[in-house]
Amino acid sequence: MTAEAPPAVAVDKSQDSAPPSGVRAWLSRHPLAAYAIRRFGLYLVELWGALTIAFFFFRLMPGDPVQTLIQTLQQNYVYNAQASTELIARYRHEFGLDGNLLTQYLVYMQKLILHGDLGPSLINYPTPAQTVIMRALPWTIGLLGISAVLAWIFGVIIGAIAGWRRGKLGSAIATNLSIALSHVPYFFVALILVYVFAYSMGLLPARSAYDSNIEPGISLAFIGSVLKYGLLPGLSIVIIGTFSWILSTRMLMVPILGEDYLVYAEAKGLKSWRVLTRYALRNCYLPQITAFGISLGFIFNGNVLVEQLFNYPGLGTTLVTAIQQLDFNTILGVTDIAIFSVLTAVLLLDLLLPLLDPRVKYWK
Amino acid sequence: MRILTAVLRTIRNSRRLATGLVILGLLILIALLSPLIVKAIGGGQDPIELAAYDKWQVPGPDHLLGTDQFGRDVFAMVVKALAVSLQIGAIAGVISTVVGVIVAFVAGYKGGWIDNVLSTFTGILLVIPTFPLLIALSAYAKNVSLFQVGVMISIFSWPFAAKTIRSQVLSLRTRPYVDLARVSKARDLEIITTELLPNLLPFIGVGFASSALGAIFGLVGLEIIGLGPGGVIDLGQIIFNAIGTGALTLGAWPMFVVPIALLTLLFAALNMVNIGLEEVYNPRLRGVAGE
Repeated sequence: MTAEAPPAVAVDKSQDSAPPSGVRAWLSRHPLAAYAIRRFGLYLVELWGALTIAFFFFRLMPGDPVQTLIQTLQQNYVYNAQASTELIARYRHEFGLDGNLLTQYLVYMQKLILHGDLGPSLINYPTPAQTVIMRALPWTIGLLGISAVLAWIFGVIIGAIAGWRRGKLGSAIATNLSIALSHVPYFFVALILVYVFAYSMGLLPARSAYDSNIEPGISLAFIGSVLKYGLLPGLSIVIIGTFSWILSTRMLMVPILGEDYLVYAEAKGLKSWRVLTRYALRNCYLPQITAFGISLGFIFNGNVLVEQLFNYPGLGTTLVTAIQQLDFNTILGVTDIAIFSVLTAVLLLDLLLPLLDPRVKYWK
Repeated sequence: MRILTAVLRTIRNSRRLATGLVILGLLILIALLSPLIVKAIGGGQDPIELAAYDKWQVPGPDHLLGTDQFGRDVFAMVVKALAVSLQIGAIAGVISTVVGVIVAFVAGYKGGWIDNVLSTFTGILLVIPTFPLLIALSAYAKNVSLFQVGVMISIFSWPFAAKTIRSQVLSLRTRPYVDLARVSKARDLEIITTELLPNLLPFIGVGFASSALGAIFGLVGLEIIGLGPGGVIDLGQIIFNAIGTGALTLGAWPMFVVPIALLTLLFAALNMVNIGLEEVYNPRLRGVAGE
């Protein structure tokens, strides 16, 4: 995805004769632009492929959302007779389920790309799925974004120090703890935290995202409440996330330590802290930026369970509710958003990295 | 035979790998002996039967970890569940690794457009968040067996193994000894099995450990949402029960702390194996002074 350079463009060898014109020649003179264009092309292919796979995956699942909706309506005594064929046909059309699979696919993609329209959601029919998702999105971005960035910062700093002071007791403890805990699901930590701080001590709330007695808005009371309620779920992501970044940063750091330029910097009598930050860390944190983009998808996977445990009104909880109710449009919408975020993050990082790091060359 | 000695030498050279394998071995041993252990706890009757004992007993000499809301012995349940969790890891690990290895070899060894197509496809699968798909898949498949869940999980976990191994195949393919084998008219399959495979074993090991890890976590995640396969109790389901029955508020801590501790130990062991293998293969990671 990121590490593999796409095949290089054929470089025009006839540069010494008259300056060639045309697209190919221009591209060969601007390797960075050529790389950016190719990388963007790959992005579009990957985006299209992932969205398509997700669409067909959920469409080929057994289960009929329209039947589910009608059953729900019958249970709520909206009407007690059998639903008429016309009614079913209308619902099928609304949910984008009429016509054969290919037609459905084309209609879905067209709506998604041109209007950002995902169709109605089942959870809150007739609210469109994108509205349901947009309501949940800020919570997830806030909780996940802040926690993930914090974990990355802590992890890279501690990991660099652990690699730097290799052989010292503190760094051995940090390294071994990371090895033991970096793959533990966030959920486990969340559960232990809830047990200790919410049930045993009764210090912190363990459900929802803010105090329901406080009116949501830009007020100190509300913001304080949001922070207080987000502390436990956020903390569980930060703790485990930090451990896994410590581990990977240390893995990048250790091989660098024997390099000549570090020895030279030491020999010049630079302060060891300065050598670490200016010389060693500079070569570590850039690959970690790319890794951060890739990790977003995995963090989202773990985040679903954490949100579910805390009943946090974010995408994860929305997703689980949607799946329990066969709400195809919402499920697919959440999946699409996750796909889009990961791919876009990686694309941006891939395009930025050559500008930040002169050693990264994706072109010949 | 050559492979075996190579494996043994590798293990001897890495304390971390050895530790991981020992912990893993112990857990597997407990899992293999689980029928006997459960029998011993029950003392003639099945301790995991509903209402085998009084419910919500506190941990004590009779029940090391107490009993749950149905009066089942938690200790016996945990032992049996550990075996189930390990099984799913093994099933999904083997399937993902085999598929990953085949894809990686075809892509990395053949190169060209085949490699481009396969790598792009693998890349696409890697960015789809697997958990929603997995949840959806199991929501429809209520009466699946453990093996089927394992297959479902491996659908989503082979790309990672493939990616890890492919990059190694690419770097090995250009080594002189492979060229030599090619010049001496060895067949592709022969080169792959005799020259490449032994050198790739650690990475295949890493792929296997990662897939197994992912699968165990996947099943735990499904159970916690309440969507696991019916009829089997794995560690995730015990945790799910603990949350659902209010064990947190009742102070029945063994019900969720022990499964979490066991899984953490298992994840730690698999991770040690992973990192140990990487260090063996990349001596620079070991640094100058070992740790």
